[in-house]
Parts: sequence; structure tokens; C-alpha cells
Amino acid sequence: MSSPTVSDAIDRAVEAYLVLGGLGEEIEDEWSYVTDLSEAWRARFDEVATSRGTDAVTPETDAAIDRAIDEIGRIEDPHRAIDWLSTFPQIVLLALGERP
Amino acid sequence: MRFQDAARDARAVVYAGIQADPQVARTAALLADATPAQRLLARAVMNGETSEPDGWRVMFPALFGAAVGDAVGATAHAEAILEASLAVADRGEQVRSQVRGALVEEITAQLLARRVGAAAVRRERRILFDGVPAEIHPYDVTVEREGAPEAYDCKWGARGINADVLYQLDDARTHAADDEERLSVALVVFDARRSCDVRLAHQTAPHDETRLVTLETLDELAGPPR
Repeated sequence: MSSPTVSDAIDRAVEAYLVLGGLGEEIEDEWSYVTDLSEAWRARFDEVATSRGTDAVTPETDAAIDRAIDEIGRIEDPHRAIDWLSTFPQIVLLALGERP
Repeated sequence: MRFQDAARDARAVVYAGIQADPQVARTAALLADATPAQRLLARAVMNGETSEPDGWRVMFPALFGAAVGDAVGATAHAEAILEASLAVADRGEQVRSQVRGALVEEITAQLLARRVGAAAVRRERRILFDGVPAEIHPYDVTVEREGAPEAYDCKWGARGINADVLYQLDDARTHAADDEERLSVALVVFDARRSCDVRLAHQTAPHDETRLVTLETLDELAGPPR
């Protein structure tokens, strides 16, 4: 079985991120901010996938991203979800060796 | 233009207790000397769901991974930040929120003190101008030096950026200019620049002359003024 790539890791992260965004959108007053925030960070993920998508990720990086995905999966409070819409992508990018 | 202590109403008294909590000063001291990645760890843990430290260590291989080693004490510092951040997270939703806000203010104050000296750095101060009604809310941190005053508002996250804080900072700057004083105003946000830019794009309040200091650039507070 081949090693997971940066694109694989980002695909998993984005899938979880979209769910988190859906939770944040429950705060109606922040809907526009939440959608723009999600879009901005997904654009950054796309940049990394485009430039390094075929690179292999180490098991350590893969585990870090899995753990971050698990963390946002535990969030039930939409206010906390909005805060993590900023925190989560930074963690994933850091694990991938990228700047936010 | 002159500075004045804020009124000690009930909210201020309660918040002063949070600000004076030794945990705040101790954690802020750790974060003032932290790297951007270590500060991100603190941001995550203090608003996280997981109380188990190993989970956070796995999530941050750049801080705790096999390749880091501990030649310069980096892992020890990250461990200290992890422990302190978990202690904040353990305090319940309302208190942890207040502590996080107080922390950003304290980090700001500590970093500014490295540049201007602790005596010039003040907390919870109002700025008064002749003929202008005083703002109700004080500025979180001020630098009070003759000829080079500065005012800072501090936020935990980008979502804290709003019209009120932007107007307050810009109004102070323009009123100072009317008095032929140059007041530097800045917003310190313990969050990524990218998120702050998104939030600011939603704001119509003036902010072109308000400096934005983010998680990536906190150390600039200790450097020469811009």
C-alpha cells in the first residue's frame, strides 16, 4: 500500500472542516463571516495541495492530522466551532510543514 | 490629550481579579517567549475539548515530534505551555473565556514592556480629550510616554474584531491628531492574520491607520514602533 500524500491528508482535513463550518453556520449573525473564513482557509489548503500534493506525508504528520480531525469532531458548540474554523487549518498546515 | 484610570464598576472589579490571577501572569510569561507554533498550541488547547496531554502532543509534531529533540529546551518550553494551557482549559467555559482575554492583554503588556519599560505600560485606561465625550470602555493596554503614546485593544480571536473596537481606536487616533498629538493605535489578536483579514473585510468602520498585530507578529510589540 502506498504512503498517504499531502493531497490525501488535505482531502481528509477539508472534509472534516466542511462539517465544522456547518456547525458554525448555526450562528446566523455570523453566517457570512463563517462562509468567507472557510473559503479563505480552503483556498490556502488548495495552494498547498497544488504545490505539494503528491508528496508523501510521514506517519507522524498523518497521525497529527487525524488527531486534529478527531478534535473538531468533538465540538458541539457552534461558537467554539467558529473559533476552530481558524485554529484547525493552522494546525493542519503546521503539521504539513507549512506556514498559515 | 490625557490618560485616566477607568471607573471601577462591578464588572471591572471582577475582571481585575481575573487579570491579577497568578496563572495569567505565569502563562503570559511563557507565551511572551514562545514561537508562533507554541502560541498556536496554547490557542488550541485553551479552547479545546481534549484534556489529555498526549492527544495534543500527537497533534503538534513540530513541537513534540521525534525530530524536535531538546537541544535548546524547545520541547521543555512547549511542555510548560501545554501544561499551563490545560490548566486554563480546565477552569470551565466562562472563566476560561475571561482568562484567555486577560492573557492576550498580559502578553501584550509584557512584550511592550521590553521595548518601553514596564513603568510606561498601563492597563484599563481611558483617553480623554478636551471637548470630546469620554469613551465608556477603557483601552486594554496603553503606552504612556511623552510624545509617543500608544493604545491597544486585545482580542482572543478574529471574531472579536467588531465595529465598536475599530471606531474606538480610530476615534482616539483622530482626536489626538486634532490635538496635534500622534497616538499610535493597534489591535492585538491572538489569531492568524488570514482570519483577521477575513473579519476586517466585513467591517466598514475605519481601520486603515490601525495596526494589526496577530499570532504571527506578536514579537513586533517588543521591537521598534512602526
